[in-house]
Amino acid sequence: MYAFEFERPGSLDAAVKALQEEDAQALGGGQTLIPTLKQRLAMPSKLVSLKGIAELQGIAQEGDVLKVGGGSTHGAVARETKGIFAGLSLMASKIGDPAVRNRGTMGGSLANNDPAACYPAALMATRGTVVTNTREIAAEEYFQGLFTTALEEGEIITSIRFPLPEKSNYQKFEQPASRFPLVGVFVAKYGDRVGVGVTGASEDGVFAWKEAEEALAGNFAPEAVDDLWVSAEGMMSDLHGTAEYRAHLVKVMTKRAVAAAE
Amino acid sequence: MSLDLKLDGRSEDRFGTMAQGLLGTPADRPEGVLKVTGAATYAAENLPENCAFGMLVRAPGQGKVTAVNADEVRAMPGVLAVIRDERMIRNAAQGTANEAPVQGVDHAEYVGQPVAVVVAESFEQARHAAQSLKITTEGSPGPVDPDAVEPEGEPTRTGDLDSAMKDAVHALDLTYTTPSHSSTPMEPHAAIAEWDGDRVSVRASLQMLKYNRNELADCLGISAENVRIQSPFVGGGFGSKLGITAEAVSAAIAARELGRPVRVVQHRRQAFETVTRRSETTQRIRLAADAEGRLSGLGHEALVSNLPGETFAEPVTQASAFAYAGAHRVIGERLARLHRPAAGSVRAPGEAVGVTAFECAMDELAVKTGLDPVELRRRNIPDKDPSSGKPFSSHMLAAALDDGAGRFGWSDRAPEPRSRREGEWWIGSGMAAAFRVNIMMEAEARIDLTPDGAVVETDMTDLGTGTYAILTQIAGEALGLPAESVTVRLGDTDFPPGSGSGGSWGSATTGNAVWLAALDLRRQIAARLDCDEAELTLRDGQATCGNVTRALAEVLGGDDLRGHGHITAGDAFEDVVQSTFGAHFAEVAVSDVTGEVRVRRMLGSFAAGRILNEKTARSQCHGGMTWGIGMALTEELTHDRRDGHMVNRDLAEYHVAVNADVPPLEVHFLEELDPWSGPMQSKGLGELGICGAGAAVLNAVYHACGVRIRDMPATPDKVLAGLE
Repeated sequence: MYAFEFERPGSLDAAVKALQEEDAQALGGGQTLIPTLKQRLAMPSKLVSLKGIAELQGIAQEGDVLKVGGGSTHGAVARETKGIFAGLSLMASKIGDPAVRNRGTMGGSLANNDPAACYPAALMATRGTVVTNTREIAAEEYFQGLFTTALEEGEIITSIRFPLPEKSNYQKFEQPASRFPLVGVFVAKYGDRVGVGVTGASEDGVFAWKEAEEALAGNFAPEAVDDLWVSAEGMMSDLHGTAEYRAHLVKVMTKRAVAAAE
Repeated sequence: MSLDLKLDGRSEDRFGTMAQGLLGTPADRPEGVLKVTGAATYAAENLPENCAFGMLVRAPGQGKVTAVNADEVRAMPGVLAVIRDERMIRNAAQGTANEAPVQGVDHAEYVGQPVAVVVAESFEQARHAAQSLKITTEGSPGPVDPDAVEPEGEPTRTGDLDSAMKDAVHALDLTYTTPSHSSTPMEPHAAIAEWDGDRVSVRASLQMLKYNRNELADCLGISAENVRIQSPFVGGGFGSKLGITAEAVSAAIAARELGRPVRVVQHRRQAFETVTRRSETTQRIRLAADAEGRLSGLGHEALVSNLPGETFAEPVTQASAFAYAGAHRVIGERLARLHRPAAGSVRAPGEAVGVTAFECAMDELAVKTGLDPVELRRRNIPDKDPSSGKPFSSHMLAAALDDGAGRFGWSDRAPEPRSRREGEWWIGSGMAAAFRVNIMMEAEARIDLTPDGAVVETDMTDLGTGTYAILTQIAGEALGLPAESVTVRLGDTDFPPGSGSGGSWGSATTGNAVWLAALDLRRQIAARLDCDEAELTLRDGQATCGNVTRALAEVLGGDDLRGHGHITAGDAFEDVVQSTFGAHFAEVAVSDVTGEVRVRRMLGSFAAGRILNEKTARSQCHGGMTWGIGMALTEELTHDRRDGHMVNRDLAEYHVAVNADVPPLEVHFLEELDPWSGPMQSKGLGELGICGAGAAVLNAVYHACGVRIRDMPATPDKVLAGLE
């Protein structure tokens, strides 16, 4: 083992202060960071746990927006958004396994921005907002590529705001071993627009499939995207699927999500 | 005293007349409760006092190895030693090697080779120190691409296959490829070594202790008498624990150096690399058939690989030598010497991939000839071994085909592919024959009989396969004792040497040694009753001879009796060809939009002589069929094209079939006694279930959607590309 300091501040201000120290690292549920530490892919000298901060907790509907505290676990999101935001609840209920869902947090997942993480697809499709201790960042500005976000050093996600859709759904095609999505598509239908967020597929991370969004805004039905196709260019290719296969799946998963949206 | 038997000719069935009624029943595992309650202690448990913890360090490249900062690491908190000892082994020994594998830490011949062991006061300190040890390698990597080197070996040629192909009404010349497969079991490789003077005791997770003992002694340069290995519980092996492994050798070296016990557990990723993989294969299969589908010739040529210095070459064509008729034959393997991690025996070495590819080719021939796939196989069952001309000890393929086809409802199948669709899913079914050679090794066992019951001892292992249960049944049946009165002790080199677990031979070989030990006791009991052993009936602790019945305890009269059995294979394995047979049937659904394959049901009918325990036998077949699903659909070790390293060396990247992938599996056993296989009339079953199972799935994929996948596994992207 290697020695590091551990701090568990009770307030956002204290956490922000603690993270100003050089080489300090925020710790949410630790479902990515702890395995990373074990493999020595990261060796911060100080871990600042965000688990004891009341400001990061709480899931609440505020008018036509759902506000999720950055420290909310996937399990809490799955349970507490059930009647409010079906697609998000479904998504959260299928992240990892029960152990992961009881520890992992939405803020942690979005800050990490794994290219195969689920939440980015929901945030992109809804054009939601990441709220930090210093500012609000729109989804399209927030995601900046694989494991890269607009967050500054020491910036903490305090909450995430999702405009509540009329209908939504998430469909992922799982890589069988890790159960991470090979491709995941979140569809959110609003009165005047439709959002389609795609994770797991692109070399640039999550993206909005804009052609599908336009087509579905006119006709929210699976066949609305029949004539569209996604280019394999810029799609990820790895052991588990070629770029062509991922591109193909984007359309398949979109159609399934539209058909299942509620 | 010992009762020795060399198996020549046919053996009399002695168990048909036994009275206890224990053998053949689906008896529970006697150690099952210990296992499900966590009370069974596996190799890494049972920590001795003052135990230190070792962690292996892998070579990050090929070439000359340097540990750059060993002194720095030695000074880290808790670190006791950084050991780079020339006796450490390059990779696990091959099964039955009986001597040290290639040793040394100065030159890495593959990426991942263990080149140091770091020992510390705690596991965490050892792991951190091991991760901090910087290893560099110099030199250009050796070849890693099977197609880039000139392979060794030539196939065996009989007749003139080229002409037979030209003259054939139907000729197929096809190439199939299978990737490297991992044998990684649930329990990672682990060892605790402790010295007492010049004698080392190792608790390890190994399959074949009598060989492992000699291998470890040879590695350490000590006498085998000074080595004791204990493996009472083994959490799966699948071939990965056949030969002595890196953690056992390094734990012994470290424990000697430090003068205290040392435990070394391999990380999952290390176990992928340092123990042996199944070689990738490229298989050229040629089939020459007449208008009625009768084979005039067949070719099965395989290219496999292994590290320099390894004797093992995946025996891909082992079953092709005897599976089907056809006078003109080209059969055999070529071996490419590569610097990928070492290859070795993985569950059903040879047949697992060889029968699978060959049975896919037979399906293609069925399509070409317009024959039903079951009928095509029936027509090509040879009446004697086509390679040697020897008779078969028994031949149950036709019976297995008929039994399986009937139970599966094969006759309801529409012959044309793409005949059935449900929503986005194409539904189809396929079948394959199963073959696996029957092998007998040498084994000894002893039984101590007291008024309290019988204690069976042999260094045989139980990998979760059911050895404890089966040996309990054999001894109980032969001695007329209920299961509760029989204790089986396994996995300790202080016991008589058994066969070890591997090659499906465990229960038949060591089981016969236990039978002989019991027969030795039966003769002693009969002598005390003044009767002929054959006339003796033992049941529920009572001995009956003629019209005299006495309690066994009374017959013992205060004496403890010991029986010892020793079996070796003789002419019975030379004069005839012995094999197990089976037939697999599978129904799959193939998504027209994603290319996913879901296996909907699977059925196997198997013949392996007397079935010793219906429950554990069934479980073995379930396991094999599950492996078949993995082989057909998901399992694929990927080697980096530049340096051969295993890219996906953990279970989050290498997918073995799990519950979600496996439908209910139906297993049926055919009534059979094979007198050539020994007094128990039983043949090895452990690996039959995997042989051909993947072919049934792949043939069903073809029947469902018309896509023929020859480059396994049939991942969704490949299937989809075929659908478009």
